[in-house]
Amino acid sequence: MQLRDYVIRRLILLPFLIIGVSIIVFSLTRIAGSPIGVYLSHEMSAAEVAQLEERFHLNDPLWTQYFYWVKGVFQGDFGWSGVASAAVADVFPAKLAATMELSLFSAFVAVVLGLWLGTFAGSRRNQWQDHVTRVVAVSGASLPLFWFGILLLIVFWANLGWFPVGRSDADIWASINHPTGFYIIDAILAGSLTALWDAIWHLILPALTLGFGAVAIITRMMRSALVEELQQDYVDAARAKGLPERLVLRRHARRNALVPTVTVIGLTLAFLMQGAIAAEIIFRWPGLGRWMASAVVRGDQATIMTYVLFTSVLFLLTNLIVDIIYAKLDPRVRLGD
Amino acid sequence: MTSIETPTENPTRPAIARVQGLKVHFASKKGPVHAVDGVDFDIADGEMLGLVGETGCGKSVTGRAFLGLIPQPPARIAGGRILFRPRRREDTSEDTPEFRPCPTCKGADIVCATCNGSGYDTLDLLAVKPRTMRAIRGRRIAMIFQDPGKALNPILTIGDQLAEVFLQHASADLLADIGGTGDMGGLAAGAVGRAARQESGRLDGILSRVPPVRGHLRRLRAALEDRIAAALAETQISNPRRVIRSYPHELSGGMRQRVMIAQALACDPDLIIADEPTTALDVTIQAKIMELIKMLQEKRKTSVLYISHDLSLVRRTCDRVVVMYAGRVAEVGGVREVFAAPRHPYTRGLLDAIPRSGETRGVLASIPGTVPELVSPPPGCRFADRCVHVMPECTRVNPTLQPLTPDQSVSCFLAHPPAPGAAHKEPELQET
Ligand SMILES: Nc1ncnc2c1ncn2[C@@H]1O[C@H](COP(=O)(O)OP(=O)(O)O)[C@@H](O)[C@H]1O
Ligand code: SF4
Ligand SMILES: [Mg+2]
Repeated sequence: MQLRDYVIRRLILLPFLIIGVSIIVFSLTRIAGSPIGVYLSHEMSAAEVAQLEERFHLNDPLWTQYFYWVKGVFQGDFGWSGVASAAVADVFPAKLAATMELSLFSAFVAVVLGLWLGTFAGSRRNQWQDHVTRVVAVSGASLPLFWFGILLLIVFWANLGWFPVGRSDADIWASINHPTGFYIIDAILAGSLTALWDAIWHLILPALTLGFGAVAIITRMMRSALVEELQQDYVDAARAKGLPERLVLRRHARRNALVPTVTVIGLTLAFLMQGAIAAEIIFRWPGLGRWMASAVVRGDQATIMTYVLFTSVLFLLTNLIVDIIYAKLDPRVRLGD
Repeated sequence: MTSIETPTENPTRPAIARVQGLKVHFASKKGPVHAVDGVDFDIADGEMLGLVGETGCGKSVTGRAFLGLIPQPPARIAGGRILFRPRRREDTSEDTPEFRPCPTCKGADIVCATCNGSGYDTLDLLAVKPRTMRAIRGRRIAMIFQDPGKALNPILTIGDQLAEVFLQHASADLLADIGGTGDMGGLAAGAVGRAARQESGRLDGILSRVPPVRGHLRRLRAALEDRIAAALAETQISNPRRVIRSYPHELSGGMRQRVMIAQALACDPDLIIADEPTTALDVTIQAKIMELIKMLQEKRKTSVLYISHDLSLVRRTCDRVVVMYAGRVAEVGGVREVFAAPRHPYTRGLLDAIPRSGETRGVLASIPGTVPELVSPPPGCRFADRCVHVMPECTRVNPTLQPLTPDQSVSCFLAHPPAPGAAHKEPELQET
């Protein structure tokens, strides 16, 4: 199948998959508790509770409630977040930008560093550089993310005071405009070095926490794929043509090793969205993850539904992009078969 | 000592390559595996030399040693030399300082007796610098691999893979094809030159968009494609322009091997190492591929080391044959002589197995037993435990390769009984 046809077919399927996901999650959230739980207090009268139940259509069947929710989504109304004391749709963009800044930065560093380290270790198999990389990678993959984050917090914030927590210094944040919501980009647009430095300084610890595991996984995958490719005949054939070792590695072995690694990178990015929840809580990062955590604890169903809807779209799109890269890298891949 | 040093010299033609006492050992848990353990033979200029023996006897390791393609570790070159004398060429731009002129004629004499007119001194392929080895690979000595399905990179097009040979070794020709870069500024000429050498500079991405550079690069690609298409056409590939854009998995096994042959012959090498080039192919096209190699070899007078365990193909295509057994040479000679009158019991066993060779791969029905363990091999003849003629001498003393006639040498005590005081005894066995 042509790549273009495949992408079109997948994009047509996308809404149906999202509907499926939303039905499942809607049912599960309603099983977990009542959507009005977050508003209730002891002072409320029975009449007030009944009024709330009426507003959330709790006396109608579940599927009717679902359709009310879908109707809201199409009108841009994702409900009221009890946790944020604001409409979900109003809070969401800013929080999304915060989370995306953190995850994309971590993902970018993790992919670049992971591919580089994997190549570095794989092309020096069983030499000391490989062993050192292995130790780093295995600890990265096995340290629980929240524990590693707390460790960084204790050492570099509590004890040494080298890094701050939160996303920004309030005064510096207020001193520039925020057209994109991405602090680094906003700082560059405003031409403020102070703001840029503030953004990066705040980003380092949470990004390190979030990216360490991803670097480890990508490094290990890239290394083992490269070791395997370096044993293939075509590598010797490339050498036999007179290619310098640099090109044998870059043009031949590494490009083949990227094929299996790209799949793992796709999964790792989904893992980053999970990890962001812990990293945001630890470093008081004002993103979706921290919001979601409070929402789950307090039964803020509008927030939970929006978060899940968004993550599933993100996940499906990531998968599609991975498939496209995969097909671009390996001409033998026949998508959709 | 001269006759012992070069016992296998072909008297009629000068050698292009000479393997002397080659020893390659592989580290293993049980100790070093003596995979190749003192191999001597030479390849005459322009001949097709067969290298035969059972699977595991060290043929591939010997062939790969020519191109420095033995993985070290686990392997270790434990001794020996591979002397190689390049042929005379018009274009010497790819030579390195290690390509020294012939000491007698200084490269000037095309009938010089020392270098046979090649103008070059010999190089020891086991001792040259990496840069020199890269200049030799693909340009002076090329290799055809056993399984073309594995020796072609699955994610690059055939054209991309063949292009690399030209870009590495014929960039001067390519630049000449497009009329040079003399009309361009230094920066632009640099970018085009680097593209022709498969290099990239920091600014080349930007430079390649500048109109005069872009035009030159387009013509460079066209010139490259012409050369690739011509190389493919030589191996009787019918639609080269289409094949250039194909990926390996879109071609049949026979087509892929034709591509490998085209790639090996692209820069008109002096010597080709063909390691079982038909073993992985369909039986029906094996003969066709062999005929193609033979035809191209005769046309270009290229030397070929043809590694095989198919004796009938060797008989049909080769001038001389080296028979290897367990890391050593058992017998060497002209194909006619060896096939008509094999003097080593192992060669005889191999020849007796020919009618059945269609089904039996590497296993010799007529010789009971298997190749001995090559970790700490016992002294004496490697073939002793399978030989029906074994004598007490055979397990104590190693039979060295001795010429019987100008055309045939054998390492077996049946052919040349161990003389008392034995010049061919191994030193460590001599009484002190
Ligand atoms: N990469 C390797 N690692 C370890 N041992 C090897 C390796 N390659 C070859 N050998 C050893 O060398 C011996 C000869 O191998 P090879 O030259 O491939 O035989 P063949 O005559 O079948 O081509 C093998 O039996 C094996 O013991
Ligand atoms: S030397 Fe002895 S054992 Fe070896 S092949 Fe000759 S007769 Fe047989
Ligand atoms: Mg072999």
